[in-house]
Amino acid sequence: MRVFLNRVSKHFGRVKAVDELTLEIGDREFMALLGPSGCGKTTTLLLIAGFYRPTAGTILFDDQVVNDLAPRERNVGMVFQSYALYPHMTAFDNIAFPLRLRKVPKKELEKKVKAMASLLHIEEVLDRRPGELSGGQQQRVALARALVKEPRLLLLDEPLSNLDAKLRITMRAELKRLQKDLGITTIFVTHDQVEAMTMADRIALLESGRLQQVGPPEELYNLPTNLFVAGFIGTPPMNFLTAVLEEAEGKLFVRGSRFSLPLPEAIAHKVRFRGTSHTVIMGIRPEDITIGQGEIQGEIYVVEPLGKDTLVTVNIGGEIIKVIAPSSFRANPREHIRLAFFTEKIHLFDKETGKSLLI
Amino acid sequence: MVYKRLAKIVPYVTLVVVALPFLTMYVGFFMRAFGEKMTLGIIPERWSLYNFRFLWQPIAWGLEQTTMWTAFGNTVFFAAASGLIVTTICMLAGYALSRIEFRGKTFFLVLQLILHAVPGPILLIGIFFLLLYIGILHRIPGVALARAALEIPLGIWMAKGFFDGIPWDVERSAMIDGGTRFQVWYKIFLPLVKPGIAAVFIWGFLFAWHDFIYVYTLLPGTVKLMSTLIQSLLATEVIDYGYLAAMSLIYSIPPLGLFIFLQRILLKVPIFGGKGAA
Repeated sequence: MRVFLNRVSKHFGRVKAVDELTLEIGDREFMALLGPSGCGKTTTLLLIAGFYRPTAGTILFDDQVVNDLAPRERNVGMVFQSYALYPHMTAFDNIAFPLRLRKVPKKELEKKVKAMASLLHIEEVLDRRPGELSGGQQQRVALARALVKEPRLLLLDEPLSNLDAKLRITMRAELKRLQKDLGITTIFVTHDQVEAMTMADRIALLESGRLQQVGPPEELYNLPTNLFVAGFIGTPPMNFLTAVLEEAEGKLFVRGSRFSLPLPEAIAHKVRFRGTSHTVIMGIRPEDITIGQGEIQGEIYVVEPLGKDTLVTVNIGGEIIKVIAPSSFRANPREHIRLAFFTEKIHLFDKETGKSLLI
Repeated sequence: MVYKRLAKIVPYVTLVVVALPFLTMYVGFFMRAFGEKMTLGIIPERWSLYNFRFLWQPIAWGLEQTTMWTAFGNTVFFAAASGLIVTTICMLAGYALSRIEFRGKTFFLVLQLILHAVPGPILLIGIFFLLLYIGILHRIPGVALARAALEIPLGIWMAKGFFDGIPWDVERSAMIDGGTRFQVWYKIFLPLVKPGIAAVFIWGFLFAWHDFIYVYTLLPGTVKLMSTLIQSLLATEVIDYGYLAAMSLIYSIPPLGLFIFLQRILLKVPIFGGKGAA
């Protein structure tokens, strides 16, 4: 099923929790709503589920306007961050609850619950109560309960945040596979950009109730439309340096306090085409910087070995940047080193508006 | 050294002194109930169950007779009816006030507290006429309804407190699973607030159980509850204190039993305070 949010707003008093959000989620798509806490992503989910009524705008399921439908009339499955299992019922009864409300005959009900339990590998714990289940099992029960009624849409609110780090990585893959196998349109709320990047077909990044950018993970990573997106997507985050654009010898240079780099023609063309302002914010990802050679002088601030590579913090002329170096790299604080920026991967943002100059 | 010993002794002495009047009363109460022919008003000549003869003998009452068991049955009926009414109304109102937003909600909640502050006896005249006009005066269910009304305001707060403890996600989950508001209330909330149901029921039950003024005023003299029966025994020329003590003992067993049986649940009740005519 396709979900379409058309200029949807939700205000709580003066607070605009969601502000004119327009977003389309395609049939069978796995969409992540990503953003920091308080950005309006959970509000958006609750709007889609039907717990909140939009202040303005319309929500469509396929071609049906659902603004006035109660949650139970929307045929939506939802997994809550706390799982929200019914503590007084066994796992079986929890999963069976939506079917019992629909008065599904006993035999069919049992068959469906069993099938769902085997799909999620929880057959052995069906007679236990939520209090006797581990976090991971609770989540599977919650997922089974959401899926057993064969909903048109699955909503997941921070489904992985209560799991330990190891289980989270396992569940990430399992959820992604399950979504593809069942082919159910899924909207997934998270504040963790790694979760969003790894699982979603497309990511909608929200901030202060406004949509910042929507697109496939690699698009948000490679072509962020503004400073917020650039800083939010990617770990460690993108480095930002203040710089000016200068034209010299027919080439466009980006000049900072300690560097002056010629921009590749592809980037220079876009920037010239825009006829941009003089002062810009230059962005460069830690993985797009080479350490040990190059024009730029820096001083080691600290070196953090991560195993498969090393995170190096470098001070260049008073500005602190992060660099991903090979795992073998070692240096002492205050040591002087040289850096090279991979100019093809440079991002440029308008200093006033924060908007990307490359799109 | 002396100081340390004193610090140990002083609390005990204080406690004993404070507890002494109550202990004396209880000891005297039991002595009277189980003793015969008191000397010095407190030391019995011999122990017996003679004072409990009302358990198997009718009680002379004017020219007629009654039995303790009639009054006991009436009291159970009265208190249970009151408890049931309080529970039903408070469970519905508590849910609504905990979960549904509506105009005047805060006002309503504050109003309940104000209503609770009104002493029960001053409402008697109004309630008398109200019951008279509706046509349920002089009937145990009618008076139970009036008695229940006194405990409902605080009962609503109690119930709301229990419902407030249930996470929003659980309710949302039930609604998205296909539940109507009523189904969510009945199938999810009520099982989760069982202690609350017990507490509110006991609340309504106990205050009705030991009520005197309402029962005395609104029920006819021919319908006796335990409290009015004991009162009528006091109103005779020669008061048999042993007999009275024995009956009072029987009167106090059910609430005591309930308290002991549901002690742990009752301790969870956020607010506890008496009200009404005792």
